[in-house]
Amino acid sequence: MSSVSAPSPTNQPSETTSHISSYPKFIGRSLWLATEGSLGFYAWMTMLTALFLVGANAWANQVAGGMIGTNMTDQVSWGLYIANFTFMVGLAAGGVMMVIPAYLYHDRKMHDVVIIGELLAIAAIVMCLMFVVADLGRPDRFWHLLPGIGKFNFPISMLTWDVIVLNGYLLLNLHICGYLLYMRFLGRKPNPVWYIPFVMVSIVWAISIHTVTAFLYCGLGGRPFWNTALLAPRFLASAFVSGPAFIIVAMVLIKRLAGVGGLDQPIATLTKIIRVTILVNLLMVASELFTEFYTGGSHVSAAKYLFFGLHGKTALVPWTWTAIGLNVTAALLFLWPGLLQFRWRPLLVAACCMAFVGAWIEKGMGLIIPGFVPSTLHEIVEYVPSQLEWKVTVGIWAFGLMIFTIAIKTALPTLKHPAEH
Amino acid sequence: MARSINLIFVGTVLVVVSMVGVVIARQSTFKASPNTQQASDNASSSDAHSAGGETTSFPVVIHQPDGPPRVKLAGLDPQGRTGEVACSTCHAVRQPNFENKTTETLDEFHQGLVVAHGNLSCYSCHNPDGSDTLRQADGTKIEYQDVMTLCSQCHGPQATAYAHGAHGGMNGHWDLSRGPQVKNNCVDCHDPHSPAYPKMVVGFKPKDRFNTPVENAGH
Amino acid sequence: MTDKPSLPVVENFSRRAAVKGAFATLGAGAFVAAVSPLRQAAKNSSAAEFMQTHYTELSPEQKADVISRLEAEAKEKYDADVTIADDRPIAGTKFVYAINLSVCNGNGKCVEACHKENNHDRDTNQSYIRVLEMPKGTMDMEKGSTTYSGAVPKDDKFYLPVQCQQCDEPPCVDVCPVKATWKEEDGIVVVDYNWCIGCRYCEAACPYHARRFNWKKPEVPADEVNPNQSYLSNRIRPVGVVEKCTYCLHRTRRGQLPACLEACPTGARVFGNILDPNSNIRWILENKRVYILKEELGTKPAFFYYFD
Repeated sequence: MSSVSAPSPTNQPSETTSHISSYPKFIGRSLWLATEGSLGFYAWMTMLTALFLVGANAWANQVAGGMIGTNMTDQVSWGLYIANFTFMVGLAAGGVMMVIPAYLYHDRKMHDVVIIGELLAIAAIVMCLMFVVADLGRPDRFWHLLPGIGKFNFPISMLTWDVIVLNGYLLLNLHICGYLLYMRFLGRKPNPVWYIPFVMVSIVWAISIHTVTAFLYCGLGGRPFWNTALLAPRFLASAFVSGPAFIIVAMVLIKRLAGVGGLDQPIATLTKIIRVTILVNLLMVASELFTEFYTGGSHVSAAKYLFFGLHGKTALVPWTWTAIGLNVTAALLFLWPGLLQFRWRPLLVAACCMAFVGAWIEKGMGLIIPGFVPSTLHEIVEYVPSQLEWKVTVGIWAFGLMIFTIAIKTALPTLKHPAEH
Repeated sequence: MARSINLIFVGTVLVVVSMVGVVIARQSTFKASPNTQQASDNASSSDAHSAGGETTSFPVVIHQPDGPPRVKLAGLDPQGRTGEVACSTCHAVRQPNFENKTTETLDEFHQGLVVAHGNLSCYSCHNPDGSDTLRQADGTKIEYQDVMTLCSQCHGPQATAYAHGAHGGMNGHWDLSRGPQVKNNCVDCHDPHSPAYPKMVVGFKPKDRFNTPVENAGH
Repeated sequence: MTDKPSLPVVENFSRRAAVKGAFATLGAGAFVAAVSPLRQAAKNSSAAEFMQTHYTELSPEQKADVISRLEAEAKEKYDADVTIADDRPIAGTKFVYAINLSVCNGNGKCVEACHKENNHDRDTNQSYIRVLEMPKGTMDMEKGSTTYSGAVPKDDKFYLPVQCQQCDEPPCVDVCPVKATWKEEDGIVVVDYNWCIGCRYCEAACPYHARRFNWKKPEVPADEVNPNQSYLSNRIRPVGVVEKCTYCLHRTRRGQLPACLEACPTGARVFGNILDPNSNIRWILENKRVYILKEELGTKPAFFYYFD
């Protein structure tokens, strides 16, 4: 065990000291560490707090006044919240693209920083749960969803599966990260028995969270736009674009702001992963579009609405072409071998941002909304998020970034001075 | 490595098994639910009301005209009164003119009456030998109250549908063991002289947000 | 971040801790202020409502309590004296609806009757029925319009009223995560408005646009409230929950006809018990060429359309 991180001797319980006293100390120290930082850090956290408060206030107003404050309707009954939820599940699953090289292929460098992916999963899942709660008409009845005291329609309802897999994934990652950081705090070598099996389960689990989320939509026969077997693979492919893209940007920032070394090789690995997944994703989108447009008929109306507008209604057209533009540009940039060169770092970050935003639109506004337009009675009711919805969404994003920032700060000693294996 | 592959394999198997489980559970709940629920809690309402119509106790009431129509006088009578008279007031003393096939040839009374009922002429339905009654195609007299029998001579399919509740509408109870049913008469909805159902104006529309009429729609 | 020691100096410690504590308190205070509108929402729902269990798990005494509480709420919030019954299915019945599309002229009286009977929000003219104006010669709903107006029927159109089809394989019931909606033994798919969490998954799953969400508190003037109510049917719904057509079970489970049928001036609507071999509905199924909407989805509707 390296001693560079210098855990103070008081933190190191002898074999006889119980965890009951050392665990609160660990939590306390983590909190303390997480709230230490430069002026820039405080400014960043203050801004996130402010945005979060705006969102919290907007949500409270939504609960008090009814969801009439959103622009959702009986025709388009899910909007920005569920769009973001879907995307965030992907982001959470995307973290596994670090875990697989680190644990299955024993990529040492990746292993040293794999906790970034796991922490991202935690933050993303928390955001998912917040988006779901924001979307509920009766958040006060949330307890009806709890197995045991509520009435849990398992296994028939895919939503109950989602509740299980999302919370399970959250617990898995909390356990893995918590255990590793705690052992680090104690200055002990983590015992593989206590985390390797969980890591292996979390790999399968990451696939499952996004598959189940896709099954939420693709199991609905009344919504032809979603009713495709390609949905789950597409979700996974785009998740493995957006997740690594976010992590690359995060790593570039962590390197610059916190001076963490050893990130270049993981960045290269993730770039290579995106290079493949972004093409797979585009291929599946293209194949979906071919099937829709070449076949024609009334199944194509949602896709027509999405790409060209229907009966003069074109609210989604700019969104979807932006997404296509971003995705294709990002894909071309990733294909270029020079992107990995150090001097092109800003371009890599730009490509990641494009891929990230592209996936966000494609899976959110470009997937959830056209499922409802035209409606099941072929009414064309358009949806543009209301100001309230934007506020709540920004608030949740701010909160998620807050969690991620704090989590990364907590893990910084580990990242800076990786343990020996 | 091998261990992790095994773990992934086990995970996949579990997912597949659970998916099969969902499908089976989904099937079985549908088969099971009617029986399980039936047993539960409708003992109170299950008593006498069997579905079979054997316990029918309430009638099906069909609207009927009060009697022969009354004709409004166009002007004042010799005593200066307005009023309505029975058909027979005039027709008892006038000979029927079988040459009047349409309203165009009427020159004294009933001008302006619009008749658009196939090729029927007045005495197809009205009785020349008893103007306060109607007559059927075979010449038998029939009272105004029983006009539906007259209509049914030609409109057999509608009469059949009507008899089975598939035409004409109703009010009251579907379950005659719990209450009566009131049904319309043909002439409640169809003017016998111009039986085509009139056009109506849509008076009530739900106001769905963001769903304004797209007048055009190309089709 | 510079490379300072991971634990700060002790003198510094208490001061920094105090500052951090102050900011944390400030943040918590700001958060409480931000979510203060929730207090308003909390006022609108009672603890009893919050604690209420699922309809199927209520004992008869609990049910009586719930119903008297709901009646008192109707008085308090809508100033209306209402009677809320708990109508259960009649044994040996399965309700089925049929509409004669040759006769329906799209006048919309059924839509209005539904609106009034079921205590829908007056602002939005809400109703469980939507009527599609369709060009003759197609069954493709894409060519239809729900927003038509003026004199009907138009010569080149026919009219297709759509409401809940009370499917035998209801996708909306499958997807509900909390079993707030289920199919009863007379075929009616009902919602426990006091159990629904408002996730609207059922709205996404329904292929017939049969479900409505209460985006706001329904507004009904006291003198327009239909006082003749049922727990699973037309009682005034709370905000934030999903609702749907119940074939007017507060009427039909008492032997009466649904409000939309009684209101239909053209007699296009037929309602009855499919288990009764002498029923009107059986005669139609046996003698008319009937079809169902979106048959390919396998939802098995208890709602038939036919032409003369």
